[in-house]
Amino acid sequence: MAKTIMVVDDSASIRQVMGLTLKKSGYDVIEATDGRDALSKLTGQKINLIVCDLNMPNMDGITFLKSLKSTDGYRFTPVVMLTTESQESKKQEGKAAGARAWVVKPFKPEQMLDAVSKLMMP
Amino acid sequence: MLDKDLEGVKKTFVQESHELLEAMEEALLALEKDPGDADTVNALFRAAHTIKGSSGVLGAEKAEKFTHAVENVLMRIRDGEIPLTDAIIGVMLECRDHMLSLVDLFDEGKDELPGSLAARDSLLTERLNAFLPASKPGGEANGGNGEAGAAAAAGEWHVSVRFGRDVLRHGMDPASFINYLSRLGEITSLTAVHDAMPSFEEMDPESCYLGFEIRLRTKVNQKTIEDAFEFVREESALAVIPPGSGVGPYAELIKALPDDPEKLGEILVSCGAVSRKELEQAMSARPGLPCEAPPEKAAFERGASGDASNKPGKARARESRTMRIDADKLDALINLVGELVSAGANIDEHSRRLRDGWLLESSSIMSRLVEEIRESAMRLRMAPIGEAFNRFHRVVRDISRALGKDIGLSISGGETELDKTVIEKINDPLMHLVRNAIDHGIEMPEARAAAGKAAKGTVRLNAFHDAAGITIEITDDGRGLDRKKILEKAARLGLLNPGRNPSESELLGLIFEPGFSTADEITKLSGRGVGMDVVKKNVEELRGTIAVESREGAGATVRIRLPLTLAIIDGFMVGINSSHYIIPLDMVVECVELGEADRRASDRRRYVNLRGATLPYVRLRDFFNDHGNRPPFENIVVVDCGGQKTGLVVDELLGEVQTVIKPLGRVYSNVRGISGATIMGTGKVALILDVAGLVQSVERAGALTA
Repeated sequence: MAKTIMVVDDSASIRQVMGLTLKKSGYDVIEATDGRDALSKLTGQKINLIVCDLNMPNMDGITFLKSLKSTDGYRFTPVVMLTTESQESKKQEGKAAGARAWVVKPFKPEQMLDAVSKLMMP
Repeated sequence: MLDKDLEGVKKTFVQESHELLEAMEEALLALEKDPGDADTVNALFRAAHTIKGSSGVLGAEKAEKFTHAVENVLMRIRDGEIPLTDAIIGVMLECRDHMLSLVDLFDEGKDELPGSLAARDSLLTERLNAFLPASKPGGEANGGNGEAGAAAAAGEWHVSVRFGRDVLRHGMDPASFINYLSRLGEITSLTAVHDAMPSFEEMDPESCYLGFEIRLRTKVNQKTIEDAFEFVREESALAVIPPGSGVGPYAELIKALPDDPEKLGEILVSCGAVSRKELEQAMSARPGLPCEAPPEKAAFERGASGDASNKPGKARARESRTMRIDADKLDALINLVGELVSAGANIDEHSRRLRDGWLLESSSIMSRLVEEIRESAMRLRMAPIGEAFNRFHRVVRDISRALGKDIGLSISGGETELDKTVIEKINDPLMHLVRNAIDHGIEMPEARAAAGKAAKGTVRLNAFHDAAGITIEITDDGRGLDRKKILEKAARLGLLNPGRNPSESELLGLIFEPGFSTADEITKLSGRGVGMDVVKKNVEELRGTIAVESREGAGATVRIRLPLTLAIIDGFMVGINSSHYIIPLDMVVECVELGEADRRASDRRRYVNLRGATLPYVRLRDFFNDHGNRPPFENIVVVDCGGQKTGLVVDELLGEVQTVIKPLGRVYSNVRGISGATIMGTGKVALILDVAGLVQSVERAGALTA
């Protein structure tokens, strides 16, 4: 069965690029536009991995991550944070909130796939 | 990615960037007034940040590089490291324009900057960097992804890893990392180390107690192997020992790890990392380099507690959840709904004729539903006019500076909603009127001071709903319109009979005549050959009306009234002889009867006495040259057109109808008094009256014969 990855980013073009890249590699993709949207889409289905931007309207990535850690069924879902080199402090915050994986923006699609495959169980 | 997909992404990116740049401009202009607004600074930063991120992912290198410089400055502003000054806002506005050019360039598929843009690019980058504290270089230090030391032939590496206690809680599965590692080369040996596993009672199933000793045959370099564990490295103990390192590093490894040295030694020997003899020698020969704190222990100390609060400001009100829909799809829907309305009206009419109770009831239920569908479909097209208004902040700022005037823009009623196509089409007329107000309306600061007014002028844009339409007002507090000049000019153009003293509204209405401009000299701003007549034409094409009001020395107000939507109107159907006409319902005030007795007396003067007020009227039968027999009783439909009440004399009143407007062909574009047509339930055509045009042409005819 195809693995499902949720992509949370407020930028439509980033979502589109990641969606295409991940789908081409055989993953199912769920898109969400911000943390709040993402939480509302966690409805019990299996999600193998979440890729999440930090800086988003409505609910930022870190708040989302904290909520995720208290959502049954998703407490241990691995999260890849999207950060930029200018957000070192954010990275620390993200770690404190329980994210350990990250991809630095701007990234090439292959870099994203690489990070995903590090976390994805065979 | 397929080219087709890429094109789609590119389109999304360009559109998204345009929206974000719009938001940036808005934020910058807002900050110019209130530099301390943290939410707006945050939104500004986020806009630049998103553009940078997505342009990087899409390979829009020029845009990415430049936006990076912008973001750098914005970040320091957001973090309070550098204060937000007017100078920065000015540069940022230019940067924003430059970013727009870069995005558009990318859209056109060009990689290289044309000369002028390249110069601008480096100039602006320089100016941006000047805002940064001196000692900050690029900050790209940690980005070194390059292959540091090119690995030689494949050798057997040793990887020793002890996963941190919390890796499972963080969603990392050790097996995934081992799996990833196996893609880098061949794992020749793997031994799990589970010495850290406590007794069953003490074991926490969410914690990870595992470690591995791995032999990996690969060509990749040390960094690549270490990077495989990138995400767990900080909390885990990792040692990567290159092939042919001798026994030393292994001995240190055994000492550094908290596991049972003997057992670990056993594992190392059995996997072929070292020979037993080497190991024994090494262990005995080097009695204890001061062992650093067990790396595991240090790594397990978690950073800040998990719930340190960090809300970066409340979400901005404007960031509502939206969905982007192709305008064509929406138009197709609206069109279908229009047809549905017609079909519904048809059924309604037939069922009324058949007098079948059931049919009547079902048809009325359906009518109600169709009405609801129509309303929600129309609402889909509605957008707040504020978007169009906000664009003028920049216009006012730039133009007033260019002219040496000090002018502020104040906006109210931005949330008023109307049809998106109307908004698009009203943009040009608005632009013209705002430019006019700045250029001709508001005086130079000295002149204002001399007239006892505040040196700073104000242009006000206001919108509000009234009846079934929307009113947009463009007000300035300038000198107002010069009656004398208008009169002179009108006389020169032959628009007025000399010596006639026109009413205020008639006089001011003259400025909408073609070729009319009272500005002494044509300035490069407003006098571009596009006169107020074009503005008026544009407005009338939207079935709107325009009027101007002037207060000598205190300013002028241009008032535009527009229908909310273009596609469907509620109409009032009237009959003349055997023809049907539709009057837009929002203009109808009331209907009164015109009896034969009244008729004879009033026909000479063409007005009736309506509850003590004079009501001039137009007999549509005459206007459209419909020569049939008049019925004994006629009716007057009282319409309100630009604040002025006029009667339209018709034969029959046929009631309210909903009509889908079908434009008339080009041949009829010059017909006065008719704005469109519609197909009735019976299949016959009814003409939709352009009440404003009709009243006006009658007025003009009257003025000429008077």
